[in-house]
Amino acid sequence: MMWSELDTWIVITGALTAMACAVPGVFLLLNKQSMLGDAISHAVLPGLAIGFLVSGTRDTFPMLLGAALAGVFTGVVSGMIERRGRVEAGASLGVVFCSLFALGLILIRLAADHVDLDPGCVLYGSLELAVIDSASVPRIAWQSGAILVLNLILAGFFFKELQLAAFDPRFAKASGIPAGWLQQGLTVITALTTVVAFESVGSILVIAMLIVPGATAMLLSRSVAGVLLWSLAVALCSAVIGHLSAISIGPVFLSLLTGHGNLGSLSSAGMMAVCAGLIFFTIFALAHLAQRLFSRVKEHSVTPQA
Amino acid sequence: MKLFIYALFAFLSALVGSTHAAIEVVCTTGMVADLVRQVGADRVRVTALIADGVDPHLYKPTRDDVARLLKADMIFYSGLHLEGRMEATFEKMRQQGKPVTPVTSSIPVGKLLTQGSAADPHVWMDPLIWAECTHSVVATLVKADTDGTSLFNENAARYRESLAVVSEWICRAIATIPAEKRILITAHDAFQYYGRATGLEVMGLQGLSTESEAGVADINRVVDEIVKRQIPSVFFESTLSEKNIRAVIEGAAARGQTVKPGGMLYSDSLGSTGTPEATCEGMLKHNTHTITQALSGNTP
Repeated sequence: MMWSELDTWIVITGALTAMACAVPGVFLLLNKQSMLGDAISHAVLPGLAIGFLVSGTRDTFPMLLGAALAGVFTGVVSGMIERRGRVEAGASLGVVFCSLFALGLILIRLAADHVDLDPGCVLYGSLELAVIDSASVPRIAWQSGAILVLNLILAGFFFKELQLAAFDPRFAKASGIPAGWLQQGLTVITALTTVVAFESVGSILVIAMLIVPGATAMLLSRSVAGVLLWSLAVALCSAVIGHLSAISIGPVFLSLLTGHGNLGSLSSAGMMAVCAGLIFFTIFALAHLAQRLFSRVKEHSVTPQA
Repeated sequence: MKLFIYALFAFLSALVGSTHAAIEVVCTTGMVADLVRQVGADRVRVTALIADGVDPHLYKPTRDDVARLLKADMIFYSGLHLEGRMEATFEKMRQQGKPVTPVTSSIPVGKLLTQGSAADPHVWMDPLIWAECTHSVVATLVKADTDGTSLFNENAARYRESLAVVSEWICRAIATIPAEKRILITAHDAFQYYGRATGLEVMGLQGLSTESEAGVADINRVVDEIVKRQIPSVFFESTLSEKNIRAVIEGAAARGQTVKPGGMLYSDSLGSTGTPEATCEGMLKHNTHTITQALSGNTP
């Protein structure tokens, strides 16, 4: 394994993107909307098709614009359905993104069947390629850093309101906080963050980092601020450990498993997502174990009195 | 024995290395790698990023792949959006001063099949159009290795001639198929150029986008055609699942028409190294042979 500048930038960009996604991810989790990222990854299809039909090209900008609009539409409309239609959050998300995805398939079929328009080809970037840039600090590093800072500022500024709106929307409304608007704002921010990150680093890292760091952090802390900090830490660790294993132990493990020879490095974004999952399960197991030990100790100390 | 061969190989490569250092070329697909090998011969050392049997529409590079791209003296890719978003990175590498060339850039625009401004990237399916790509390869190689100019030009001319021969052979082979059976049914839309070159009607079950799936209507449309024209065979593609083609075979069977799997065609990837299908010519010959046999023609 040879560490190079390439690896440094992959880790930095991966970590910044992961943390930028983890911030809105925590609030989505509290709002039971954590699958929004996955939903958007499907819902962008009609956006791409319309972008192509309007512009006539598969250049990045019209694709990104179409995808962003479709993403924002998904977030806003599913939020509206949830609040107005008395439909559960997951179901309203499902209704919207499935319809959009299907609409995308039909649009492609009708208007662009001889053009390769799938998101993997025209929208999703890849972390490994994104860091190649003519500038000394790749544009992608600035971009993901800026999104992280923006998301942190917004989360800090609306922290109390977001917290209240997530836990007790009725009380929030009664105390004059526009809970509905806040949640819509959150989904819009998430949609923009995801689509821009899809364009630069691909889908898997983004979808994973919207959910897993937050979910892990919930095992570690009971306050929203604590969860937010822990989720940033988990995102950072996943990125660093993920890339390290993608270029070192990952290939070795895989070649042992499959019997093939040297396979070279694995997908860094993929391994970052895998590591996030492993961190979650480790902490989950530890938390479970600790809880059992704790309750047993408690039982012991309680029994004599009874 | 093995050791001896290695030693001999090392010795020979040292010998070659002493005359001139080969240009390290990284190509995206096997087709492009084959093209550059044909033109550059021993003055280039060519590797392909995308392994045999991998769909280039879906390929994602890993860190090692990117490191190889950065280390290469020269990069060739197919272009026309075959490599999707990777092409933006190639553009950046070109701005950094690395010779990065889309081989399809030397094809006259009028010869491309287009929908809107998007061109069909499967140009290697028509040997005469693929031959046009030699011009961009020569132009790029010459800039890095002027001593090789005459060799590159000779090789390119010879390869173009050989592709012309292949093209003529393919057309003769397809012409032996009875006119009413001249229809090629495959899993996706990769054979448009091949069809145009040979006069074979082409029907893909799904469009070019990997996301779009073959609907019931697609399958019925194809089955209707098979029953109406008594088509004997349909074909699998090496980089795609057999599922949809199997559905067509079953659909036709349900309507009393036996249609056989005609065999496997190479569309977006070459055959594995060491087989005759590992070159563009070999792959086209394999495809033509398979198609002709299955549609009751005779390969000359």
